[in-house]
Amino acid sequence: MLQAHSPLWHYLWAAPNILLLFLAFLLWRRHLHRAYPFFFAFAVLGATAQLTAYVTDISLFIADVTWWRIFWVVLVAEGLLKFAVIGEIFSKVFDAYASLAKVGRISIRAVGVLLVLVAAVAAAYSSEEGIQGIIAGAHVLEQTIYLIECGLLVFIFLFAGHFYLAFPRPVFGIALGLGISACVHLATWAVMANGGLAESPDKRVLLDFVNMATYHVCVLIWFYYLLARQEAAAKPPGSLPPNNLDVWNRELERLLQR
Amino acid sequence: MTIAIILVVAAVLALAVILRIAVSGSLVVAGDATLARQIQPLDVEAFRNLVDRLEEDYLRRRLPPACFRAVQRQRLRAMAAYVQTAGRNAEILVRIGQSALPSADARTAEAARQLVDQALLLRRNAAFVLLRIYLALAWPNAGLAAAPMVDHYQRLNSSAMLLGRLQDPTTPVRISS
Repeated sequence: MLQAHSPLWHYLWAAPNILLLFLAFLLWRRHLHRAYPFFFAFAVLGATAQLTAYVTDISLFIADVTWWRIFWVVLVAEGLLKFAVIGEIFSKVFDAYASLAKVGRISIRAVGVLLVLVAAVAAAYSSEEGIQGIIAGAHVLEQTIYLIECGLLVFIFLFAGHFYLAFPRPVFGIALGLGISACVHLATWAVMANGGLAESPDKRVLLDFVNMATYHVCVLIWFYYLLARQEAAAKPPGSLPPNNLDVWNRELERLLQR
Repeated sequence: MTIAIILVVAAVLALAVILRIAVSGSLVVAGDATLARQIQPLDVEAFRNLVDRLEEDYLRRRLPPACFRAVQRQRLRAMAAYVQTAGRNAEILVRIGQSALPSADARTAEAARQLVDQALLLRRNAAFVLLRIYLALAWPNAGLAAAPMVDHYQRLNSSAMLLGRLQDPTTPVRISS
């Protein structure tokens, strides 16, 4: 069951990407693709790229080296799209608040630079012996992309959480799905890029299953938050505490005269 | 393999942070009627006296250096307490403002927008001022520029009051005494 090319393996690789394409179609039908253009592009191109990798993986006519080259292209394209989606999440959350937009932008750039440095150090110290350079490189690239992605998303969550910024519901769903996916993938690719479980390939396949199952859950999260009907908006606080009106009046007048 | 262990631990922590923030609901607008009651009134004038440069210069001239440092540390701790409370009040006002943002009344929505912006500014400034206060605690002789925060706090007061009046003309919000 938990082996490469088992029915579950086929399902977990193909189904989330077919679902993601279907989600993109529904977003387009509801004109939501204009509101979230980068996520829409990620859904279409990312899913198509993954399905291409899947089809070429099961194809008998594709040589191993060719498949790994395709995998590299998919990896780079997907990575760029994910960073574009993170930028979209950031602007949707922070651009609405003029007082925080600038400091947020400066902070995320600083965090980004720091993450690139950390990822470069992690990549330099990663070593996977006994396998081809193209495969080891792909593993390290996966680790690097997910490390930066994970760090940026944690920063966005922490920053927004500190200031109690409300995420628009679809943006919250996109960020949550991407965040969960990035954390789990970072852990699994870090193990693979550093030669973990190298002596037992069967156990390594389990990491693939963890990645694919997590991605499936994340696609379902995106479905729920982007398409499920939103509950009625929270009622504004009706009664505010009783207060000293004359003190407030004096304060207001004093402020008006400044 | 050490790198792998470090990254796995980092990934688990990151996942815990994301899930905790997501589950805590702090990123979701919630109209909680009890929020306004959690606001602690602050005496702006008392805080203004505390951050008054002239007062500080007077103490510096009058007291021996060691005694001045001790007094100044106490004043800084008191300032920190004020700023922390102001920051907490701003947090509550952000949440009240967020819940009023979708209001159908354009004036209420605009007042809510102003309140949220100013509360966020105050929360940001409170974080910076606290940092400066903690640094000043180590070197009490160095000056402290907390005064600009007072103005932000007073502007925040007026926004909170305006929003309170628009929502319920009989019961305005007060965040300073």
